[in-house]
Amino acid sequence: MNRILRVPMAVLGLAAGTLLATGPTFAQDEKGKAVYDKVCVACHSAGIAGAPKLGDAKAWAPRIKAGIDTLYESAIKGKAPAMPAKGGATDVSDADIKAAVDYMVAAAEGGAGEPAAAAPAAPAAQAAPAAPTKPRPAALSFNRLLKPASKRNPPPPEDGIHDPDNDGTHALQAPLQVFEALPRSNAGNRVDWVKSLDNNLIAPRWDRTDPAAAPVVMDLNIVREVKGSMPDVVYPHKQHTAWLDCSNCHPQIFIPQKGANQISMAAILLGQKCGVCHGKVAFPVSECRICHSKKKNVMPVKNAQAQ
Amino acid sequence: MRIRHPGALWRGAQAAALAAAVCIGGFGTSGEARAEYADVVINNYSDAAGMRPVIFPHWFHRIRFRCKVCHADLGFQFKAGGNEINMVKIIDGQFCGACHNGDIAWSVENCNLCHSGKPGTPTQVHESTIQKLAIQPQAGGQQ
Ligand code: HEC
Ligand code: HEC
Ligand code: HEC
Ligand code: HEC
Ligand code: HEC
Ligand code: HEC
Ligand code: HEC
Repeated sequence: MNRILRVPMAVLGLAAGTLLATGPTFAQDEKGKAVYDKVCVACHSAGIAGAPKLGDAKAWAPRIKAGIDTLYESAIKGKAPAMPAKGGATDVSDADIKAAVDYMVAAAEGGAGEPAAAAPAAPAAQAAPAAPTKPRPAALSFNRLLKPASKRNPPPPEDGIHDPDNDGTHALQAPLQVFEALPRSNAGNRVDWVKSLDNNLIAPRWDRTDPAAAPVVMDLNIVREVKGSMPDVVYPHKQHTAWLDCSNCHPQIFIPQKGANQISMAAILLGQKCGVCHGKVAFPVSECRICHSKKKNVMPVKNAQAQ
Repeated sequence: MRIRHPGALWRGAQAAALAAAVCIGGFGTSGEARAEYADVVINNYSDAAGMRPVIFPHWFHRIRFRCKVCHADLGFQFKAGGNEINMVKIIDGQFCGACHNGDIAWSVENCNLCHSGKPGTPTQVHESTIQKLAIQPQAGGQQ
């Protein structure tokens, strides 16, 4: 929460003070904007999957004609094929979703989208508790450090490292356009690359120019016993040799001999050993059980002795 | 990147967000870097040469090529910024130029597709473990 809210709030604060002579609807707009920035922006800024873009009067005009209630309903219940119910953020209240719709409609009607200026077009009937609609101070947000779900896989113009003022940025593909069709996972790109490859959903070339070249996959598991409660690590050559050459790992990262390498979690977290790739390009270190996958046979427990 | 220039980044982000606020009404960018996992920013020379830093998207390329093609055949070391790539090497068919040659992929005159980063963004692998670990202790204070 705090990560998303802070900057917009600072910006809004400033904008409110210096740019817009804001009316009483400001708090409501601010709420709508906050929801938009958190949830809807993922699709409605770049126009992912045909979503009408914020401030695009042409795209919004026919929709606005259908009436604000229709729009509320689309936003709350979703609209086929690609508008998810509440934009996927089911924990947001109906009132807040409506505020976001108002904000989007206002932006469309106001052309360049000075939200406060266009506010009269939005229904005043909105149940708007006067004071508390202001976003809570970031210090009180539920998650302080966790990145909110709505910030995953953003399109390039919104990802914070691409320059939105660069025309090329807008020509780049948005990850979600592609990932939607691939099996998802819990971290990293949130794509299960192993499954994507196994199921032929993607066909990455093994050779720069020859699409028919195929890797020689080596099916050899190396089990690394782990002290303590964590399950043992099974290192599979199969999934690795489907992507990589032996020379990518041997001998620079690993001596090709079982047990010849000192590997520890500390090293992995620092980007060495398995951490050369895992936590940078291959699935990240947070996915403990993908590596620690072999149940320990015997777990000598104190209780057992006590019996 | 916050490891290196937390203050500079923050100011940059704020300035960017503010610029956006002034010209398009405050929405669009929140200034928070949250790019796709494994996006690599390469900025050894770009800033100094007045070009935007280069952003290399791993996700996009791994759909089309296995790691082996770049990291074994073409000789890219596993180190962001560690390959001393420059434009002469590229137009001579090395590194990015092995493919971005108008034959396998669009050619080098599309400067802005590669040079697409916010000016001043340091070399980094986005969302790497180290980046995530390093950010956390600061997060309360700065972000
Ligand atoms: C995953 C992408 C996605 C997200 C996130 C998303 N939308 Fe949409 N939205 C769409 C698409 C696609 C359409 C176009 C649907 C159509 O008419 O084909 C759409 C259409 C709409 C419409 C017009 C509906 C109509 O009846 O014409 C409204 C209003 C809307 N979205 C509001 C929101 C709000 C509010 C949020 C945030 C709470 C949000 N959207 C988040 C994808 C998204
Ligand atoms: C092994 C071949 C190969 C190498 C090496 C390569 N690329 Fe690419 N790249 C491609 C192909 C193929 C495409 C897709 C071209 C198309 O869409 O026609 C692409 C597309 C791109 C795109 C556009 C992505 C989008 O959203 O459409 C960018 C940016 C890019 N490459 C940057 C780079 C940079 C920077 C380097 C060097 C650091 C590089 N590439 C090296 C093959 C390569
Ligand atoms: C992603 C990195 C990676 C790649 C790619 C890789 N290996 Fe390995 N290899 C390992 C690791 C890790 C071990 C275990 C080392 C240890 O236990 O200390 C290992 C062990 C081995 C061993 C020793 C087995 C034993 O029982 O002693 C051989 C032989 C081997 N690899 C051959 C290959 C060959 C051949 C290829 C290419 C087809 C290959 N490796 C590709 C990481 C890799
Ligand atoms: C040179 C890069 C590299 C190194 C080093 C490496 N991996 Fe991987 N690993 C990959 C890639 C690429 C994949 C494919 C999945 C992905 O990208 O998320 C993968 C997949 C895996 C999988 C299979 C996941 C599945 O869904 O089936 C396991 C398990 C794994 N790695 C464990 C390890 C362990 C343990 C080590 C260290 C001993 C290690 N890896 C070192 C690149 C690497
Ligand atoms: C990329 C694969 C990989 C992932 C992901 C991974 N580990 Fe490990 N882990 C290893 C390897 C390899 C070892 C070393 C085993 C050995 O001693 O040979 C290890 C060792 C350990 C150990 C033993 C002590 C030490 O530092 O060596 C603990 C505890 C541990 N891991 C916990 C975790 C936890 C908790 C997570 C999830 C946050 C995790 N690991 C994620 C590969 C992984
Ligand atoms: C395929 C991707 C790609 C394209 C297209 C591309 N560049 Fe680059 N360029 C790079 C990479 C990678 C670097 C190294 C970046 C660094 O380390 O700062 C670089 C570095 C540079 C540099 C600084 C180093 C040097 O060689 O002087 C300049 C200047 C530059 N590019 C200009 C351009 C111009 C102008 C164009 C369009 C005609 C262009 N680039 C197109 C990838 C690309
Ligand atoms: C199209 C070419 C291409 C492909 C395919 C590719 N990479 Fe990369 N990789 C790069 C480039 C370019 C860099 C940045 C090098 C630089 O900055 O000089 C990089 C950097 C890396 C790094 C270094 C990160 C760090 O620690 O700084 C790792 C690890 C990596 N790649 C792993 C992989 C893995 C694993 C795969 C396969 C799943 C893969 N790459 C596929 C081009 C590629």
